[in-house]
Amino acid sequence: MTQALATGAAAIARRIADVIDPVFALIDGWQQGLQARLASEPEPRAADLDPAVAATVAAELDRPGTLITGAGFVAAPGYLVDAPWHLAWWLSDGNPFRGVPARGIRRLDAVSDPDAESFRDYTTLEWWRVPERTGTRHLTGPYVDYLCTDDYTVTVTTPVTIDGDMIGLVGADMYVARLEQALAPVLRDADRTLTVVNASGRIVASTDPHRATGALLRLEGLPDALAPLREAEAEGRVGGAVRLPSGADVVPCGDTSLALVAE
Amino acid sequence: MPHATARADAARAVVFSPLEGAGRAELVEQRLTDAIASGVLRDGERLPSEADLAKLLGVAPVTAREALVALRHKGLVRTRRGRDGGSFVTYDDDVSLRLTEERVRALSRIELRDLSLHYAAIAGMAAEVAADRASDDDLQSLVEIDARADLATPGGARRAVGRFQLEVAAISQSPRLVHEELRLQAETGALLWMCLREQEYRDRTREHRLEVIAAIRAADGASARRSTTTHIGSAVEWLIDEKVRLEAASAPPIAHEEGSAS
Repeated sequence: MTQALATGAAAIARRIADVIDPVFALIDGWQQGLQARLASEPEPRAADLDPAVAATVAAELDRPGTLITGAGFVAAPGYLVDAPWHLAWWLSDGNPFRGVPARGIRRLDAVSDPDAESFRDYTTLEWWRVPERTGTRHLTGPYVDYLCTDDYTVTVTTPVTIDGDMIGLVGADMYVARLEQALAPVLRDADRTLTVVNASGRIVASTDPHRATGALLRLEGLPDALAPLREAEAEGRVGGAVRLPSGADVVPCGDTSLALVAE
Repeated sequence: MPHATARADAARAVVFSPLEGAGRAELVEQRLTDAIASGVLRDGERLPSEADLAKLLGVAPVTAREALVALRHKGLVRTRRGRDGGSFVTYDDDVSLRLTEERVRALSRIELRDLSLHYAAIAGMAAEVAADRASDDDLQSLVEIDARADLATPGGARRAVGRFQLEVAAISQSPRLVHEELRLQAETGALLWMCLREQEYRDRTREHRLEVIAAIRAADGASARRSTTTHIGSAVEWLIDEKVRLEAASAPPIAHEEGSAS
């Protein structure tokens, strides 16, 4: 019986991963395209690269029903000969979730002059730091994106490497509200309380309507159960399911770094 | 994604966030005057170009230009032509003092208290919710903001207060609280934190941060809220004392009506 329930949770965890996997596949496609393009580029320039990045991400940002709201490429410092620090990031102007129709895309204004007061070394930030260390993709958030969209967001980033050197990363932003909406059908038919959390235990979605997205799920043993998830990510493998003292199962959702908690 | 690119200086990011309501030149002028007078923008710092400023604040280019002209007349910026040209902040202690004093005197005690209540409602609630929602990484970022705080100058202390409060709001995970925090910082921050001219109050900002960090670590929302509202309350009481002092210094020896001096 317990075994069967655990198996059910594993199947749902798999379906949660399936919701997010298309976004991962998309980003992986951009990554491969950029790697192929830049591998043969002796003097890569932002001036040449930006229009190509814009064209690549615009198609998806404009697509009706897309989960993503922002996307682009961020260069490793010193990689581009004409721009030592460079973010090529585009946002979709519309927010269909709030009833704002799409109005095309706009470029994110980023401070790339290291002498400017507001300059920030982005290589110290989570969305850069973690993929740089692990060599693989990472999901940052949910967090309030107060400069871009003023909205509640998760960001997925994956490194772009040439001959083993990380020359930058590609990634995409998703609204949590839209992600929650996309996850709802997957979570609906369960006989246990199901909660999707990130690797810090922050709630992304739950079948218990009183569990707020953004709050931490406080269950005995959960932080310890999630720790291997972070380690697994660092080692590029998928962690296994863990049972908490309360009997709740914690099941990784594929390699998304999200976990399903079934109580 | 780039949210954190601005965390380095949230107080500064606030200065260049979009204006709400009608984009009048006086509002742009007030925003930048506050930022310069309170030391958030540093002496000699280059302002964004007219076109960029207009885009950032969401106003017409002609409005941005009008505001820059007014700032030039006030002696708060100077303009250099040529390739390395642009508008540069000129900070002067006496000018800044006079401008902020004018601001304090233009508002009644009722308005000052109301403003601080509004801000305490937002910041206090953010702190309470943050105590429930902070991860270990979030706590670490609060500790780092406090460690980097420069308490030697009013501008440094003010930037640290702005950063810390914005981070707390971000940790609450509420886009609306973050939005209000940013808006209120831009509108009232320079006025409310005028007490940071005094070292004693700058030191107090650190005590407050350490209290809030301890409360958040203990997931004690009530304490995080109380510490935040008390801190804001003490800032407005200082401001009202200052207003009384300014009015006494300039008023004729007979009693005058509250709020009439400006």
